[in-house]
Amino acid sequence: MKSRRWRHGVWRGLMPLLLLGASSASALAACPPNEADGKLLTSGPLQLAWRPVLQGNTPVAPTAIPMAGHFALTVQLCEGSSASKAVLKKVDATMPEHRHGMNYQPRIGALGDGRFRVEGLMFHMSGRWRIEFEVRSGEDVLRLTNDVQIR
Amino acid sequence: MTFKFDKFLIRPLVCILVLTSVPSAQAGEAEFSADEIARIASHGPWPMPAKTDTGNRVSGNPAAIRLGYHLFFEPRLAANRRIACATCHQPGRGFQDGLATARGLRPGKRNTPGLFNVGQHRWFGWDGGHDNLWSASLRPILDPAEMGGDARRTVRLLRSQTELDCHYRQAFGKAPDARDEELLVNVAKAIAAWQETLVSPSTHFDALREALLRGDDDAVASHAPALRRGLRLFLGRGQCATCHAGPLFSNGEFGDIGVPFFVKPEGVDPGRQGGIKRLLANPYNLLGRHNDDATGDNATATRHLKPEHRNFGEFKVPSLRNLKYTAPYMHNGSLATLRDVVRHYSEIDEDRLHSDGERILKPLRLSEAESTDLIAFLESLSAREALLAPVVPPAVAACDVPLR
Repeated sequence: MKSRRWRHGVWRGLMPLLLLGASSASALAACPPNEADGKLLTSGPLQLAWRPVLQGNTPVAPTAIPMAGHFALTVQLCEGSSASKAVLKKVDATMPEHRHGMNYQPRIGALGDGRFRVEGLMFHMSGRWRIEFEVRSGEDVLRLTNDVQIR
Repeated sequence: MTFKFDKFLIRPLVCILVLTSVPSAQAGEAEFSADEIARIASHGPWPMPAKTDTGNRVSGNPAAIRLGYHLFFEPRLAANRRIACATCHQPGRGFQDGLATARGLRPGKRNTPGLFNVGQHRWFGWDGGHDNLWSASLRPILDPAEMGGDARRTVRLLRSQTELDCHYRQAFGKAPDARDEELLVNVAKAIAAWQETLVSPSTHFDALREALLRGDDDAVASHAPALRRGLRLFLGRGQCATCHAGPLFSNGEFGDIGVPFFVKPEGVDPGRQGGIKRLLANPYNLLGRHNDDATGDNATATRHLKPEHRNFGEFKVPSLRNLKYTAPYMHNGSLATLRDVVRHYSEIDEDRLHSDGERILKPLRLSEAESTDLIAFLESLSAREALLAPVVPPAVAACDVPLR
């Protein structure tokens, strides 16, 4: 009896978290990506949506990336209305006019359903930054870039 | 015939005076574009919101702050009982010492950095060899070239004064013990807790910024034209704000600006390259077990560091606040005055820059008048009045005994 009550309590405690996880996963895994998934880039049938996330897991627009502050990215890969099986292999950023990149090495975590989270980015100077996403799709390596102005 | 100032003559005169005074009153507003004002806004507000160091469990703890204050000025921590943290970090000089390179038990190789606003920093030391303030505070205490202290000497000191012993117990919940491997880290965390309270006063620049943001033209115009012209240079042609960004006037990162890295009598200072190596080998970094932040969120910068060839000869971008008090300048104290610093950027030797380094660094070729304007702006980043001795933090009630 005690054990059943304990299990019931645990499930009741976990349920909101599971529901939240499921709903946020489905929201993030929505293909094709929409505005909420962030900035959209395409290469052939592949669609890549990226969105900056600040500390505290706050999503922001690319224009709101703070100068000299660490941030993360969520990345969604889609092909049409399905999650892509392509893999995000590398994310990097450079300042073309300055001839250098970031001082930090981002790390990519796969979340499933074509979703990825990239941690440890920082744009340490104001100016134009170019983010490059390297995606492996079968035998192909695709590079998608996006420029962001940091103030 | 007598000349009469009748009201019909006076009125037009008054109008002319008023009209001619308008442009000067609005000079500040006319001077800065909306884009410039937005960029100026990014250098404030001041002071910044206080931060708690999540890696230091006694950050903000009154007992630790009081203990840290006392230890900061305590020469008996040093092997020769004559050198305190405050020997090099002097409050009246913005916690600098006025020397080109520091002098502890032996001569040092680098300029003593000021300590105002250190609670807001990401990296500590010219090479960023520390990722937290307590680790950076521990190094000079133990370094045989600086204070040459050790755990036994520290415990003797703590136990020699009831007040110190009491505040240590209040802060850390145990008695100081030389066999406790946490002892020196705790002492450093207390010193760090006090340093976190060192916030520099607001400046002429802060007043100008606030006036611009509230559209107070008269208040803007009350700031010297040279200061305003210098600010425009700083933001514009000088591109200084690219690195000297935000309220601290530093992005907290590193750069090679062509200051020689040779060290007498021979050798080189590798700067950030050596700093990254030191940091990663340091047991007191944020990846180690002395970090009190169980989430490890405060170690993001250290965890993601990317050593690069260009790090050789890079040094930390210093905050420009309180510059007036922290001469001489640069990592080796090689530039005596702000005019020397401005001249350095005006005539920067591109051959000295790292081939992998920052491409936007070019000689500014400033005229004498422009240099004077830029200096006027840089001076406006210091406290308006002479720096006062820091306020003594109160003793906690349980330890309220007179100091010996």
